[in-house]
Amino acid sequence: MSSSLKEPIVELNDVGVKYLGAVQALEHITLKITKGDFVGLVGPNGAGKSTLLSVILGVVKPSTGYVRLFGEPISSKNLRKIGFVPQTPYSKETNFPMTVNETVLMGRVPYSLKWPWFTSLDHRKVEDALKRLGIEELRNRKIGELSGGQTHRVFTAKALAGDPEVLIFDEPTSGVDTEATKEFYTVLEKLNQELGITTILSTHDLGVVTQLAKTIICINRTLYFDDLTTRFDASTILSEAYDYPIDLIKHGDHP
Amino acid sequence: METTLNTILTYLSYGFIQRAFIIGILTALLSSILSVYFVLKRLSLIGDGLAHTAYGGIAIGLAVGGLFPSLAGNAYVIGGAIVVAGSILITKAIRSAKFSGDAAVAIFMTLGLATGVFVTSVTLQYGFDLDALLFGSILLVTWNQIYSAALILVVTVVLITVFYKELLYTVFEEVQARAAGIVTWKFDYLLSILAGLAVVVAIPIVGVLLISALLVLPALASIQITQSFKQTILLSPVLGSASVILGLFFSIIEPNAAPGGTIVLSGLAILLLAIVAKKIKGSA
Repeated sequence: MSSSLKEPIVELNDVGVKYLGAVQALEHITLKITKGDFVGLVGPNGAGKSTLLSVILGVVKPSTGYVRLFGEPISSKNLRKIGFVPQTPYSKETNFPMTVNETVLMGRVPYSLKWPWFTSLDHRKVEDALKRLGIEELRNRKIGELSGGQTHRVFTAKALAGDPEVLIFDEPTSGVDTEATKEFYTVLEKLNQELGITTILSTHDLGVVTQLAKTIICINRTLYFDDLTTRFDASTILSEAYDYPIDLIKHGDHP
Repeated sequence: METTLNTILTYLSYGFIQRAFIIGILTALLSSILSVYFVLKRLSLIGDGLAHTAYGGIAIGLAVGGLFPSLAGNAYVIGGAIVVAGSILITKAIRSAKFSGDAAVAIFMTLGLATGVFVTSVTLQYGFDLDALLFGSILLVTWNQIYSAALILVVTVVLITVFYKELLYTVFEEVQARAAGIVTWKFDYLLSILAGLAVVVAIPIVGVLLISALLVLPALASIQITQSFKQTILLSPVLGSASVILGLFFSIIEPNAAPGGTIVLSGLAILLLAIVAKKIKGSA
């Protein structure tokens, strides 16, 4: 939600999702995400965070309500403006022979389907994305040889190469060590601040959310909080959403 | 050594040996390019499924030719049509999500084999050459078979070049490819139809039983030593051709050795070398 004066990039109006016609994954979700925002999406396991992201990405159709992207109904044209970095970016089972450069180039595919080859613009965008993510030296490495943190950077670069106005991350640092996680979030903050890319970050890491996000969305099937981070009374809201008394301890407060 | 060389040179002057090398290399190029996609799609056994479907299809073709003399000689055409239909149905079954890839392949493998066994058992009087079908008959290849293989190879190379990005993205991550605007199901069907055609072309070379090798080993060997997809798609045909050439040479040196077997064993040796090379590179 945040400032209502800014242009809404993502709007959900009374969205509900029922899986297999029975399981209610989401209900009565109404929210707006504005241009340039950094949104932290939190909620317990099974709260419907991934479903909410899938609804925004047009992968799951809402059973009730509607979604608008950039002020228009979802279409392949406006979905192009959204870059998505999934929790598991690709299956590692096949030892897929692809370099970092080839992987990031896939981010240009939506713009280059007219020709069998990639253009110099595509290569330039890839170069920029590799630089932004600080992974130029990895360009010729096989993706299967990378660490979890490096893999997420590569797939963020892939999303960035598609010139997105919105970047969506689903648990981007699961299985990544603390140092790499910290560095990764620093990069996300830079992308948001320097390029003005609207960022939606779904994570369990409340510390990161309260530090980085300008807005917090807390859901557990339905919406519990959607406002500025400064107004986020973590203990009260999380206790309600998680249906369990939660008392947050800030760093330095605990004995 | 000199005698071996003389033997090879003498054999190489024979037309039927030259034709064997030509069709062998064409088939190797065709199947090893496609093998990259199927290995990466975790559908390595599709060649087996299609080859057994081809066995059933060719058996039906021969039986039809026996019953209707005007259609005699079209067994491979009828078999080819049945294989292409089978490859479309395998892909349809996998995409329906009702069957896993291996289950869908298994259904068509057994269906093809059972049909083949049934039809050949009741139509043996039509001169069915079971050995040639099961183990290949590369030395009996005709120029018409060579032209067909060359045509299918050219079509495959053109399609794979034109749709390079679409095919790569579909095989790499289908959901992301779909989100990027690629109609992924079309490319799944395209690959399976090409695989069906490759199987029909490859049956005379290695036979039904060993066809899978050509649709698996070159890609597997390449993936061990390459970093990029581009390298893999270029190296796989080189390694596939090398296994056919080596295999044919071995069967010239040892005339009792069936070329189908020596070709596949050469492919396996190349895979072993690639694995060793990867290990050495990894420990360096």
